[in-house]
Amino acid sequence: MKNNLTRHDGAGRGNLVLGIFALFLLYLLYSSGFFTAAAWQDFNRRFYQNFIKDRRYMMLVDGLKATLFMTSGATLIGLVVGLILSVIRVAYKGGAPIPVLNAMANAYITVLRGTPAMVQLLIWNFTIFASARNLNTQYIAILAFGLNSGAYIAEIFRGGIEAVDPGQMEAARSLGLSYGTSMKLIILPQALRTVIPMLFNEFIALLKETSVAGYIGIDDLTRAGQNIQALTLEHSQPLVMVAIIYLVIVLFLTHVVRKLEEWLSRGRRG
Amino acid sequence: MAVIEVKDLHKTFIRQDGTKLEVLRGISTQIVKGEKIAVIGPSGSGKSTFLRCLNRMEEPTSGEIIFNGEDITAPACDINLVRRKMGMVFQHFYLFPHLTVRKNLTLSPVHLKIMTQDEADAKAKELLERVGLADKIDEWPDRLSGGQKQRVAIARAMAMNPEVLLFDEPTSALDPEMIGEVLDVMQELADSGMTMYLVTHEMGFAYKIAHRVLFIDGGVISEEGTPDEVFNNPKKPRTKEFLSKVLHR
Repeated sequence: MKNNLTRHDGAGRGNLVLGIFALFLLYLLYSSGFFTAAAWQDFNRRFYQNFIKDRRYMMLVDGLKATLFMTSGATLIGLVVGLILSVIRVAYKGGAPIPVLNAMANAYITVLRGTPAMVQLLIWNFTIFASARNLNTQYIAILAFGLNSGAYIAEIFRGGIEAVDPGQMEAARSLGLSYGTSMKLIILPQALRTVIPMLFNEFIALLKETSVAGYIGIDDLTRAGQNIQALTLEHSQPLVMVAIIYLVIVLFLTHVVRKLEEWLSRGRRG
Repeated sequence: MAVIEVKDLHKTFIRQDGTKLEVLRGISTQIVKGEKIAVIGPSGSGKSTFLRCLNRMEEPTSGEIIFNGEDITAPACDINLVRRKMGMVFQHFYLFPHLTVRKNLTLSPVHLKIMTQDEADAKAKELLERVGLADKIDEWPDRLSGGQKQRVAIARAMAMNPEVLLFDEPTSALDPEMIGEVLDVMQELADSGMTMYLVTHEMGFAYKIAHRVLFIDGGVISEEGTPDEVFNNPKKPRTKEFLSKVLHR
C-alpha cells in the first residue's frame, strides 16, 4: 500500500515537470507569433502540402513498415547469433575444451561492437554484396544490423547467465542433473528474467539505429521524411513528424518493458 | 562395509596469478552405513573442500574416493549417477527460486525418470511433512524464512532417496533463532539411520549426533575420535586451542 502511494507521488511529480515544460513551449510559440491567424493558416497549408496532398502520408507509412521490418528481422538474427556466441563463451569459461571457437566468438564481438553499425552497413552493401545488385537491399540491411546486434545480444545473454548464483548450478548438479540439463532447466530460466527487459532495450536501440538505412538507398521512415522534404522543399514539418513517430513507438515499447519487468518479478522478494 | 572410503586425497587450487594453494594434503578416512561423521576445524582448514570433493563438486588433484566399491575419481565413472545417491545440503540453501517448493523437490527425480510425477509428488508431500512444512508445498522459495528454506533444501536432497547426505555448514547462514528447527530436522534424519557427513561449527550438535569427529587443520586430519575423545580429552595442542576458542572456555 505504502509502495503504491510513493510510486503514485513519483508519477505526479513527473507530470508536473512535463506540464511546466509544455506551458513553456506554448509561451515560446505564442511569443513568436505562432497563434496569429495568419501563422495558423500557413501551418495548415504546409501540413496539407507535406502529408495530405497526393497521399504523401503513405510515404511515411511505407517507411515505417520498412523500419519495423528491418528492426524485427535484425532482432531475430541477433537473437540466434547472440545465443550461439554466449553459449560458446559461457561453456568455455565452464571448462569446455573449445579455445578456437571461443577466440572466434571474442574476435567477432570485439570487431562488431568496436566499429560503427553504419560503417558495417556500408561495407556489407558496397563491398561484400557489391556485385549482388538484384538483391533487395532491405535484406542486406537486416543481415548487417542483425549481425551487429548479435554481438550486443551475446553480451546481454552472457551477463544474464553469469548473474545467476553459481550455487544454483552446484545445487542442480548435486541432484544428479547433467551440465546441459542444469543449464536448460535451472540457469537459463533464471537468466531470462534479467535478460528479457534488456533485449527489449536492444530492440529499441536497433529501431533507432536503422535510421541510417537510407545511406544504402532504403526508403525507411527517416528517408521517407527526407523524400517528402525533397518534394515540398519544406524543412521542419516532415522531419519533426518522423521524430514524433519514432518517439511514440519508443515510448510505447518502454511502457511494455516496464510492464514486463513488473510481471517477471511477481511473487519475488529481492 | 564402508559406504565411502577416501584414500590419500589431495587438492591443490591454482590461483589466478599461477601460484598454487595446497588445501588438502592427504586425507584418508571412511564412513560406514548409518554412521554420522562431524568434520570440524578452523576456517580455511580445508574441511568444506574435503566435503565438496566427496561428490566431486571440487575435482580432487589426486587420491581415490571409493563409493560402494566404485572409484568415482576414475575417468570412466559417470559422476551424475553417483550424485543421485549422494545428497548435498549447502550453507546458502540454493533453492531454485523460479520453481515452487513442490517443483524444487520433484524436478530431478522426475526429469531423471527415477519416479513419475505422481510418485514424486507423494514423496515430496511425505518429506515436507517430515520437515514440518507440509503447508508450504505450493509456496515460492522467496516467501520462506531461512530456516524453512534449509528444511526444504534437506527435503530436496532426500527426494532422490540418497544413501549418504553431505551437509556443508547447513546452519552457518541462519539467524540464531532458526538454527534449532534445522538441527531438529537433522536430528530426526540421524535417528532414522541416514549416513551423514556434517561440516559444522555447531559443536554441541556435533557432540550429540556424531559417532566420530574429524578435526581437520592445514589440509590433514589432525585429530579424530569419538566426540568424547575429541571434545573432552583432545590430545593435540592445536585441537585444544581451537576448541577453547569456539567453546569460549
